[in-house]
Amino acid sequence: MISCRTSKDRMIEALYGELGPSEKERFDEHLRSCLDCASEYSVLGATLRVMDRRERPDPGPAFWDGYWDRLSRRKVWEEAGESTRTSLGARLARVLSKIPRWSYQAAGAAALLLVGVLIGSRLINTPGGTGRVDTAAGSITPSGAVVQAENYIERSKVLLLGLVNYDAATEDAYAFDLGGKKTMSRELAAQAPAIRGALNARGQKRLRDLVSDLEVIMMQIANLGSGQDVEGVELIKQGVDRRGIFLKIDLDRMGRDARGPVDPAPPAGETKLPKKNKI
Amino acid sequence: MDERALIEGMARGDRAAFREFVEQYKKKVFYLALDMVGNAVDAEDISQEVFLKVFRSFATFRKDAKLGSWLYRVTYNASIDHLRRKEFVPEPVGDDILESRSRDDNAGLPHGGAVDPAAAVESNQLQARIARALEKVSPQEKAVFLLRHYDDLMLKDIASSLGLSIGSVKSYLFRAVRKLQKELGGSPLISGVEASHD
Repeated sequence: MISCRTSKDRMIEALYGELGPSEKERFDEHLRSCLDCASEYSVLGATLRVMDRRERPDPGPAFWDGYWDRLSRRKVWEEAGESTRTSLGARLARVLSKIPRWSYQAAGAAALLLVGVLIGSRLINTPGGTGRVDTAAGSITPSGAVVQAENYIERSKVLLLGLVNYDAATEDAYAFDLGGKKTMSRELAAQAPAIRGALNARGQKRLRDLVSDLEVIMMQIANLGSGQDVEGVELIKQGVDRRGIFLKIDLDRMGRDARGPVDPAPPAGETKLPKKNKI
Repeated sequence: MDERALIEGMARGDRAAFREFVEQYKKKVFYLALDMVGNAVDAEDISQEVFLKVFRSFATFRKDAKLGSWLYRVTYNASIDHLRRKEFVPEPVGDDILESRSRDDNAGLPHGGAVDPAAAVESNQLQARIARALEKVSPQEKAVFLLRHYDDLMLKDIASSLGLSIGSVKSYLFRAVRKLQKELGGSPLISGVEASHD
């Protein structure tokens, strides 16, 4: 006859009918003579019968019917992304491999010459002579800052339009591509401080505030949860609505249209910027 | 298409074979992921990742191995990775239902096919209770239990799928059933059995 220890060791196999006939006979014989093991076997068996009543939610026939199409689309997108990355690298490698070695030496010499010329011209030039300023965020001219801000607003607007027009109930979640939008938002959020920092001239406060508002929303989008995060998307839509983002973007555009083309860069030496930004 | 033909077709990069493979296994992969992560959107995402991974790395598949076992292992690993990324915190399921259950200790278990409101409530209570019990089981124990109990895999196949020894599989499964029994202890079916042995 088997011991209680052996009985416990075989209990799982016995419960799931994985004991051979002779093993099962010895196991049953033990249960007939051991109330503790018989009780445990009975209780664990009852637990498994309760677990048999578990119902798994069925996503429904539409989900299963569309599964292959959604998988195929994802495969195509992922392969397209990979091939772009691969082809760029491969093309660069191909181009570089065709260039003769002497041309690297010539290019190196030309680069050294150019660096020398640039350093020389910087040392010779008087302060403010080029009309360029170094902002905390990098070298951006005042007019360049406005152009960058406009570009930033346009890109943010396109992204936000895609987001606010998305209806989770009727549209395909994969066509919506939240992952792509999150990546783009992360990039936009990262660019915003430089653009805001450069918008420090008088009359640029409204533009700066709009970039700030967009930066906050881009960060919210970038931090959405995994999967489709329908609730998070809804909260962002409400935030866009509450802040009147599209109205502000339209007002900004109307203001710029009324003023005409982007403010030209001030003549050399006339840039009025905080002292810390001067070279 | 039998498994051998499927493997050969997929090895050739045959799209029809891959589709057949997805159709055969999509429910098993989706439900294992769903049971592991508890969220249908994430489960679909994981299941797609699994199929794409299988498709891309099919060259590494040993032709003498079982396709299903390999697939379960990839699904299990993808689900565990997902839980790690999300720093998984078990969600309490249906507390309101469980509270009402505890107020009505005389309520019995539902009977199959019942459609009256009382039976529906009881059924919901049981489902919530089972879900809550499963949350108390570790991911490894849960995976072993799910594969044995709902996917009907033999212990040796689970061991092969998850890369464990049979001893570990038995140990995980025993612990899982014990924990479930402890959590479902108040269930009249189990209580009845316990009482009959006292």
